[in-house]
Order: sequence, then C-alpha cells, then structure tokens
Amino acid sequence: MSSLAEHFHTDWAALTLNDWIGLITTVVVFILMIVAYIYVFHPANRDYLETQKNIPLDDNRLETEDKR
Amino acid sequence: MEATEKYHFDVVRWFTIMAIVYLVVGTLVGVLIASQLAWPVLNFDIAELTFGRLRPLHTNAVIFAFGGCALMATAFYSVQRTCGVPLWSNKLAWFTFFLWNFIIVSAVITLPLGLTQGKEYAELEWPLDLLIAVAWLCYSFNFAMTIAKRKTSHIYVSNWFFLGMMVMITYLHVVNSLAIPVSLFKSYSVFSGVQDAMIQWWWGHNAVGYYLTAGFLGIMYYFVPKQANRPVFSYRLSVIHFWALMFGYVWLGAHHLQYTALPDWTGSLGAAVSLAMIIPSWGGAVNGMMTLSGAWDKLRTDYVLRFLVMSLAFYAMSTFEGPVMSSKTVNALSHYTDWTIGHVHSGALGWVVMVAAGALYHMVMRLWNTEMYSAKLVNLHFWLATIGAVIYIVAMWVSGIMQGLMWRDYDAFGTLSYTFAESVAAMHPYYVMRAVGGAIYWLGGAIMLFNVIMTIRMASATRGVGAPARA
Repeated sequence: MSSLAEHFHTDWAALTLNDWIGLITTVVVFILMIVAYIYVFHPANRDYLETQKNIPLDDNRLETEDKR
Repeated sequence: MEATEKYHFDVVRWFTIMAIVYLVVGTLVGVLIASQLAWPVLNFDIAELTFGRLRPLHTNAVIFAFGGCALMATAFYSVQRTCGVPLWSNKLAWFTFFLWNFIIVSAVITLPLGLTQGKEYAELEWPLDLLIAVAWLCYSFNFAMTIAKRKTSHIYVSNWFFLGMMVMITYLHVVNSLAIPVSLFKSYSVFSGVQDAMIQWWWGHNAVGYYLTAGFLGIMYYFVPKQANRPVFSYRLSVIHFWALMFGYVWLGAHHLQYTALPDWTGSLGAAVSLAMIIPSWGGAVNGMMTLSGAWDKLRTDYVLRFLVMSLAFYAMSTFEGPVMSSKTVNALSHYTDWTIGHVHSGALGWVVMVAAGALYHMVMRLWNTEMYSAKLVNLHFWLATIGAVIYIVAMWVSGIMQGLMWRDYDAFGTLSYTFAESVAAMHPYYVMRAVGGAIYWLGGAIMLFNVIMTIRMASATRGVGAPARA
C-alpha cells in the first residue's frame, strides 16, 4: 500500500452511528454548496439575482423620507 | 402619512433607544472591570463588584442587551421595508420587547449575586434560559411570518442573514443550555467533561458566528446600500457569502480547545475550516466596501457611512486574525493570553458596535423623520470609537504576545525564565492602556446617547408634541 493510500485508509467497519450521521451530513452539505455555486454563477441566473440588489433602494417609495 | 398606517415602527423606536442605553451601560461596566485589572483596589472588597461577578454582566450587557436590541430593532425595521408589509404581529413584537428587557434586568440582578451556570456567554440560570428561548422564538416567528406575507417575490439577502441567525441561535441556545435544575437558581449541565467543553465552544464560537456575525451582516447588507444610496456591489456574491457562512461556521468551535483533552483531529478540523472561512468573510467585506465604488467621496461628508465602512475594515481584519489564531502553531502562543481578548474586541468594538451604530443613526433619522441634532457629534463619536478601539486592541496585542513569550521562555537548564506573577506585573502598563482605550470608546457611546436624546427632543419640539413623529 502506498503512503498516500495508507494516509487516506478508512476502517469503515469501525464507524459508529454518530460517525455515519456526521459523514453523510458533511457530504450532503458539500454537494449543496456545489449546487449553490452552480446556481449563483450560472449566466442564466445573473440578471435575475442582480436585479434583487435594488430592493432596499426601492423601498423608499413606501417611506416618508420621500415626502420630506 | 402612508407609512404611518403601513408599518409598526413604535416598537422599533424603543428597541433602538434601549440598544443605545445598553451600549453605554455595558461598555461602562467593561471600563470598570478593565480598570479593576489595572488597579485591583477598585474591587472595593465588595463581592458583587469583583471582576468575576461583573465580567459576565459586561459580556451579557453588550452581547445580549445591546446586541439583542440592535438586532431586533434593525431586523424589525428592515424586514417591513424590504417586504413592503407591516410586522405580522405588533403585539408579539411588544411582548418580545418587554420580555427581552425583563431578562436583561434579571441578568443585572442575578449575575452580580453570583447566580451563574459558569458557561461562558451562557451564564444565566435555567429559568432565564427558558425565557430567552421564549423571547427568541417570538422574535423569530414574528420575523418569519412577516416574510411569509411579503408583497415582494424575492426575499432580500439581509433577511436571509437574519433568518439564518434566528434558526441557528435557537438550536445552539437550546442544546447548550440543557441542564438539570436542582433549585430555582441552580442547575447543572447535562454534559460533562470534554463533551461539556465541546458543546460549550460549539455554542461559544457560533454565538460569535451567527449572532455577532450573521445577524450583523444582515444589518450590513441592508444599511450600507441604504446609507450609500447605492445597491450592493454584487448580489450573487452576497448569496455565496450567506451559504458559505451558514455551512462553514458550525465547524469552528473546536479551535477554542487546541491542546486539550479534545481529540487532536477535531482541533485540526476546526482550524482548517477556520482558515477556509477567510474566503467568504473577505468576499462579504469586499462586497460591502465595493458598494461605495465610484462614490468614495461620500465618506468626506457622510459620518454615518464612515461607521459602516470602518466596521467592514474591522470585520475583514478580525476574520483574518481569527483563523490565524486558530492554527495550532499560532494558538500555542496566543491561547489563554490577552491576544484573544484583543481579537474579540477588534470584532466587538470595531465590527459589531460600529456597524450597529451606523444602522442606529440611520434609523433614528428615519424613524423620527429628522436630521441628527449634531452631525459634528456623530463625527466625534466616530473618531472616539475608532481611536478607542485601536488603543484597546494594540494594548492587548502587545500584552498578549508578551504573555505568551514569557510563559514559554525557559533557560539552559529547562527552568521557566519567569514566574506567572512576573508576567502579571509586566502586563500592568497595557492594562492601564486598555482601560484608557475602553474609556475613550465609552465616551463615544455616551455622546451618541446624548445626541440621540437631543435629536428625539428636537423632533418632538418641532412638531409641538411630546411623542415622536411617525416615519
């Protein structure tokens, strides 16, 4: 066994229930982060997302500061 | 006025006022205990005034009293405006206000009396823990229901940050506070030994990560664009910032327990993820700062904007310093020293209070529909806060690194070069410097309180009525 394979060797049989819950949660979160990156940086979503940045400025129409 | 009928702002006004009052009170207690470390005679031999009793009062006052009221004011203010609807329940908001303030008053009574669970940033005994859970859930539920009935199709990113904080703090507070009561004012944690330490710092660091970072980033994402009158630099970056922060922060707690009984790999994992968190944190800081791209001249005249931008500079600095300190090599020097206190205060004084102060000034002008009583006093507050924070942080950096070096130094025979008492004596000039920096910072907060009181009085007098005008 190479040193690299030895380094990444895992005794799967020794994993407890808590280990499995942690492992699965970690992998799922990792995949969800990849999904988030793809969604956010996909060119098709650019215009939709970037137009939302104006929401705080648009709320002026509902405020009295416009009337000052 | 349209907005008079549209939004529930009275409760926001009172959260705003109480946040500023608690800022002054909380930092005053901080100055006192900092002075006690420099001049122990200031304990006055009164148990209730000793550092051990007042330190949790200081942290609870600034984190939960000031920070909580600032978060509730800004969240209730911005969610109404970004969703175009009033709060789901005004009565529930008022109930939250009174319950939260009752908890704060109870903390002021119980902590100096020594009634504590002894868990950092979660000292309050079990009856108050239950009340915190009730108040927090009322706040969160009201916020979420306001979003649910919004008129806009999209939920603005600041609301995501507030929501993320609410969900995570509920989870963290409940788990960390699990305890067996043995009397009305005494309980014991259900966790023990190293598990207790792990849960404690899972809570402790995430109180920083979700309450003092995610919540205040919610403030940043609404109030920086609003005050600058420019949209945030990149909305897509803000979305990535949010999800990376939410997924990343929960892993970090173990870095508080390097070189302890905790398994070594957990500390390494905590440090590795801490270093990775520099990326989203700096992404967020750059996103906030670049909002001013092409309009930096506003900083010459807009003193409120100065608070917001300076807070982002401190945010970037703290979120770089923290990961560096979490790495084992640096941690071996920095842990248990004043460097940690300096790091915490660069985040607290530089980031949390500065961004909140900017938001509070912004809201005071809108909520009372007036300009500030004195713009010069806002500017004076800004410089006192900046100079005070820098003096405090530098004092603790020097003190902390000196402590670490003195503790680890040994001679040719393997004997420690310095006794612990010698290291304490060496700290004295820096403890004096810290107290001076803290006092300067406190003075800025007191000036803010005076300025806000005068602004409200001026606004009321202009209208010829005692009550504030509705925005």
